[in-house]
This record gives sequence, C-alpha cells and structure tokens, in this order.
Amino acid sequence: MNVGSIPLLRELRWPKFQWRIAALKNGFQDATAYRVEFLLEIAGSAFVPAAIQSVLWYAMFKIGGATTVAGMTYPEMLHYTFMSILFTQIRGGDLDFELSEMVRSGQLSNYLVRPVGVVEFVWIRGIAPKALIAGLCLFIGIGFELYLGVSPFRIVGAMFLALLGNIIHYQISAALAATAFLWEEAYSMLMVKNMLVNFLSGELFPLNMIPERWAWVWKSTPFYLYVYGPTQFALGRWSTAEYFHQLLFAAAWLVVGWLLIRITWGLGIKRYLSLGG
Amino acid sequence: MSAVIEVKNVSRSFKSVKKEEGMKGAFGLLVKPQIQVHDAVKNVSFALEPGSFTGLIGANGAGKTTLLKMLAGLIPPSEGEARVLGYEPFKRTHDFRRKIALVMGQKAQLWWDLPAIDAFDLIRAIYEIPTATYKERLNELANLLDVSKHLNTQIRRLSLGERMKMELIGAILHWPSVIFLDEPTIGLDVLAAHKLREFLRVFNQREKATIILTSHNMDDIERLCSRVLIMRAGKLIYDGKPAGLTQAGARQLRVRLVQTPSAEELATATQLPASAIEIEEGPEGESSKVIRFSVKQDQIVPLLQALMAKFQIVDMGIEGESLEKVIQNLYEEDKAVL
Repeated sequence: MNVGSIPLLRELRWPKFQWRIAALKNGFQDATAYRVEFLLEIAGSAFVPAAIQSVLWYAMFKIGGATTVAGMTYPEMLHYTFMSILFTQIRGGDLDFELSEMVRSGQLSNYLVRPVGVVEFVWIRGIAPKALIAGLCLFIGIGFELYLGVSPFRIVGAMFLALLGNIIHYQISAALAATAFLWEEAYSMLMVKNMLVNFLSGELFPLNMIPERWAWVWKSTPFYLYVYGPTQFALGRWSTAEYFHQLLFAAAWLVVGWLLIRITWGLGIKRYLSLGG
Repeated sequence: MSAVIEVKNVSRSFKSVKKEEGMKGAFGLLVKPQIQVHDAVKNVSFALEPGSFTGLIGANGAGKTTLLKMLAGLIPPSEGEARVLGYEPFKRTHDFRRKIALVMGQKAQLWWDLPAIDAFDLIRAIYEIPTATYKERLNELANLLDVSKHLNTQIRRLSLGERMKMELIGAILHWPSVIFLDEPTIGLDVLAAHKLREFLRVFNQREKATIILTSHNMDDIERLCSRVLIMRAGKLIYDGKPAGLTQAGARQLRVRLVQTPSAEELATATQLPASAIEIEEGPEGESSKVIRFSVKQDQIVPLLQALMAKFQIVDMGIEGESLEKVIQNLYEEDKAVL
C-alpha cells in the first residue's frame, strides 16, 4: 500500500513533522528577535488585567463590604484572578489580523506558492512563543497549586484545555479572517470578535458572575474554554467528570472549527486577487 | 519536445469598486457602489519549451504580473486554460508547488527580523531537502551571488540588492523546474543587477530550469532571454526572438546639422512623425545637436535627400535600432491604446 496516497498517513510521515517543527522554531526565533519587547509584552498583558481586577475586587469586598460575590470570597476572587492570568497568556493572539492583512495586501501569495497549508503554517509560527509561555505558566501554576493545596495534576489538565482553547480560538479567528477575501473591512469584525472574547472568556471576571438567566450566552460559545474553564478546573471548582465533559465540548468545537476553515478558505481562495506586485 | 508551459486563450478580468471624487463619492460608495470590470489579460496563447529563458515585457498595467500569477496558481483564469509541467496551476497541488518558484521583486518573502539562514532552514524543512544537499546548494548559491558573509545578518539590515539576492536563494533552494521572476532587478544598482543576471544565466544553463522573467530593464531581456513575449493592454502582441524586434530593417540615422531646427521643423522637412525624431545635446564644445531618426533601412536615402535639401549636414552615421528604443516605442503606442 502506498502510504503517500492516504492524506492522513501522508501527514503522519516524519518529513511532514519536520517542517512543522522548523516552523515552530522559526516562529519562536521571530517572536524573540527583540527580547525586551517580548518580555514586556508578556508582563504588560499579565499586569493590566491583574491590576484592574484587583482594584475591582478590593472595591467590592473591602470598600463595598461584600462578603461573597457570585459565591466567591475575596481570597477566592484573588485566586481566580491570579490563575486566570496564567491562562490568558495562552489564549490566541492577533494571528487573525495577520491573516486578513495578508489577504488584503496580497502577501498571502508568498505562502500559497509553498507546499504547506497557509492557515496551519501561520498558526504554528504564532503558537511558538505561546508554547514557551505555557511552559512557564505551568511551572508557576504548579507552585500556586501546591500553595493552595490542590493537586498539581489539575494545572496540567487545565493547561491542556487552555491549549485546545487556543486552537479553537485560532480556528474561529481564521474563518472570520477569510472574510477579507470578499470584504476589505474585515478588520472591524475581528475587533468586535476580540471584544466578545475578552468579555466571554472569563479573563476579565469569573463568568459565574453573569446572572443565571444569561448563562446560556457564554455557554453557547467556546470562549469560556480559553480561560474560565481551565481556571475553574485548576482551582478545583470543576470535578474531573465535568472536565472530561468539557473536553468533549472542546473536541466538538475543534471539528466545527476545522470545517469552518475548510469552507471559508476553500471559498475565499477562489476570490483571492493577489493584489500588489 | 513537449511544452512545459502551455497557455491557451487565457483571459483574466477583475472587478473593482469605483469611487468618485470627494464626499459625494464617499456617500455613493456607501449607498450604491459602482462596480467596474477591467480586463487584465485578453485571450493570450503561447507554449514554452523546457529549459527556455523567456522575457515577458510590456508597460505597467499590460498584464504581465497577472499572467505570471495565473501560471503560478495564485489566481485562476477567467477563461481559457493554462498548464504548467502538466499541472493545472490553480489546483495548487503540493507536487506542483514543489516544482515551481515565484519571485516578486516588490514582495518580500523572507522574515524581516530574522537572518536569512533561519528562513532558509525553514525552507529546507518545507521542501524536505536532505541536509547535505541543502548545505551544498546554499553554499553554491551564496557564493554565486556573493552573499555568504551576510547569511547571518537580519534581513532588515541588508541592502536592497543583498535582500533581493537572499529572496532569490530562498525561492530556488528547492531547485524548481519552473521559475517565475517578476522584476527581480527592480531598484538594484548596476553591479548587483549584473550579478543577479549572471547568476540566472548560469542557473538556467546548468539546471535547465524553465524561466519566465518580467522586467523593464532591457539589459535583463537582451542578455538573458532567447525569446520575448510582449504584452500590450492585456494582449500578446509579439512572441519571438529579441533580435526579431530589431532586425526588421529598423535603423537609426544619426546626424549633426549646422542649423538647430526644432523637432517640428524636422518632422515637416522629412515627413516623419515627431516620435521618430530625437534631439540630444551635441559633444562638449560643439553647438550643434545630435539628431536621431528612427527609420527603416530603405527610408535612409530619401531621408538624407530631404535633410540636405533644407539643412547642412556636419556629421552623420547609421546605427542599428536598440531593443530599448523598440520597446520604448511599443510602450508609447501602449499609452495610445490605453
């Protein structure tokens, strides 16, 4: 049997992994070309939400006099904030903007002539620095779990869920970015998507603060799998059964995301104009 | 020998939104956008032999780059059929993409903040080039293009010429059978352009790669291409040897006169169109100007008679028409067509 004739087996051949590993290396080198900028970006993205949330919780609990908010005490809220910041670092970045700009400017042509899938290629290069950050967050998370007295295995499972969230986020973003093939103003749509993600992923506040009658809103999107879900599991607020249940959801979203990319990019590429040059 | 590139009646049109001037135009764009259709390539047909080096020339907007993009599989033709190495380009199979290369002088493929060597390593992995072969090729290409010492320098710190050479190395490290080059010498100085040209000539002769080159630099075309395709307003108007453009009896009569008539006076006296007459400053210390008439061989005697009837000739000579001049004339005709 000729292995090369079966697409899945063909992708599992070692040389097919080689380019992915090389792209990962390349993406990492690119992201860390300016070390200070790289480190400041991480510090900035962690510090700003931490500071905002800390002030907010302080105001509610210490100034406002609340004892619990959405069933959480002041220390629990701070634990949530700290842990959620670790997972916020893993969630996808602005690769969708990069994709839509590539379509708009014609830079996509550079990738289309190479024998690799452009959507996957861009993701691999983008995930490279995130992988390093995930390792660092895992290390910090284990220390925090030990301090809280929670099993450190939870942070491993939570990090895995956060990484699946990263893929789902990219899939949805890439599908939306494909609108740039027919609509030059795709940029604004991506901004709206980002605002929704900020709100519904749980990176700004625990989603159980949203009234129960509106809970269907965040539960019907996969965004809570990026930060809220992993944080809940890492802090021991989700049972293992619940975790596996959510993994199934994540798997379903992955399939949906894969289909979305196939359809949107399959249709979009036919309308590509390869402008410039 | 069977053709490696076959283009049959290929056309390509683009739709775009037309915006009128000012605020009215901006509102019009919001309410009722006006769609206009532009035919970039019109019914083009040709076939290229394996190992050939072909120049694709034409004025800006003539359709050269659009044709290259169709052949590289970036955009589909609106009509007609194109085959490259037996593949339908727009299907963009991985096998097809492994065998072609596209270099666009105005589009950087390498990553700005990384040294070229890092990008080349990724390209090695993408094309599954064995490490020993990769090192051998890289060494050879870097030596030929004289950029060995810049391989570890960030791309953004390189000069335009060095960057272009790196782009070329990155594009052909996988030893493609067909190379599309879109203005590779754009913006390069004489020396860098010469190096790049020399490299392309050697690569084509040694590796028998089929190369299509678009360029506005006639040196590129004259020195490299055994065949020229000329496009005008989307149509293919010439397909043949570069010499064929200049050997059809085209000559330049160069004269210096005692008098200094204007181009209009000369046109009236010789009955030639003003576009066939060029006036340049004469040699240093001489007040007379050099006048060049672009004519056919059999027009020279009557032209001289007409000139002598009205002016006094100081000096004269007959030269072959340069390719550059022929193309310049074609471009001027282009403007009239567009």
